Amino acid sequence: MIVAEQKPLNEIKTMIADAERVLLVGCGTCVTVCFAGGTKEVDLLATSLRMSTKLDGNGKVVDEFTVQRQCEWEYNEPLKEKLDDYDLVVSLGCGVGVQTLNEQFPQKQFVPGLNTAFMGLPTEQGVWEERCAACGNCILDKTGGICPIARCAKQLLNGPCGGSQNGVCEIESDVPCAWQLIWERANDLGQIDRLMELQPAKDWRTSRDGGPRKIVREDLRLVAHEEE
Amino acid sequence: MEGDCHYLEGNLNARRRVEYVSKLLEEIGLEGQRVRMINMSSAMGAQFAQAATDMTATIKEIGPNPLREM
Ligand code: SF4
Ligand code: SF4
Repeated sequence: MIVAEQKPLNEIKTMIADAERVLLVGCGTCVTVCFAGGTKEVDLLATSLRMSTKLDGNGKVVDEFTVQRQCEWEYNEPLKEKLDDYDLVVSLGCGVGVQTLNEQFPQKQFVPGLNTAFMGLPTEQGVWEERCAACGNCILDKTGGICPIARCAKQLLNGPCGGSQNGVCEIESDVPCAWQLIWERANDLGQIDRLMELQPAKDWRTSRDGGPRKIVREDLRLVAHEEE
Repeated sequence: MEGDCHYLEGNLNARRRVEYVSKLLEEIGLEGQRVRMINMSSAMGAQFAQAATDMTATIKEIGPNPLREM
């Protein structure tokens, strides 16, 4: 899932400073499961903003609405009729949600209430860890299912650096060395020999280096699209 | 008592949440001391009365919630 966390209240207050009427829009998908931008968090943030702006002597109207998935046009349709009532909208979706809304309803401005952090999973309640950096060319088959792109600080492809000590990465004592994990896993799978195969330098064009990415599936596109 | 909860570690989890609420109140601009968690068993009548007296004193000192008068 996409993992995000709420921006500090003061930062959000600064963003909405010039608005009198504000709408908070949550998202019912990834950011709901990571407790950052679902109905409950929208409710809590709206209450906090109402109280805080009132204490500052410029109490604002802060209303709440949550859609099922901010990153798809259809789900945002119910928002359309509400927007006229507000000066500004704070999205509690991920960065994709915020941009979808700005693109879909250009007559209104949508600002981010969250910091979108990474793609990962909850490893225990209240703890999320990064697992994939969307490099666009997955190599998990070669690394025992552990990603050196997202989990090795140096994104090494051919084994650990000299900073790997007792399974711990040199950057932080609570960060496991990805290459130690890869080695142990390959050992468990009886696939150490695969690690001995030299990996050439990665082609980063499928990742961020190639600019913004796009996937086109002609088999799924509608004929009507071509006629446009 | 702390850590000795019918729901196992329930009151330790609750403490974290109370601390979160307290911090949130500070962020909003109210006093964090407006919420407090005190562990007590049902046999601690005197301590309960004392805790209630202490809390009342704290709240009197801070004064009424300014949002109520706005
Ligand atoms: S190799 Fe690339 S696609 Fe695969 S998990 Fe790592 S970052 Fe994600
Ligand atoms: S210690 Fe391990 S995880 Fe950290 S940078 Fe070196 S190889 Fe990568």
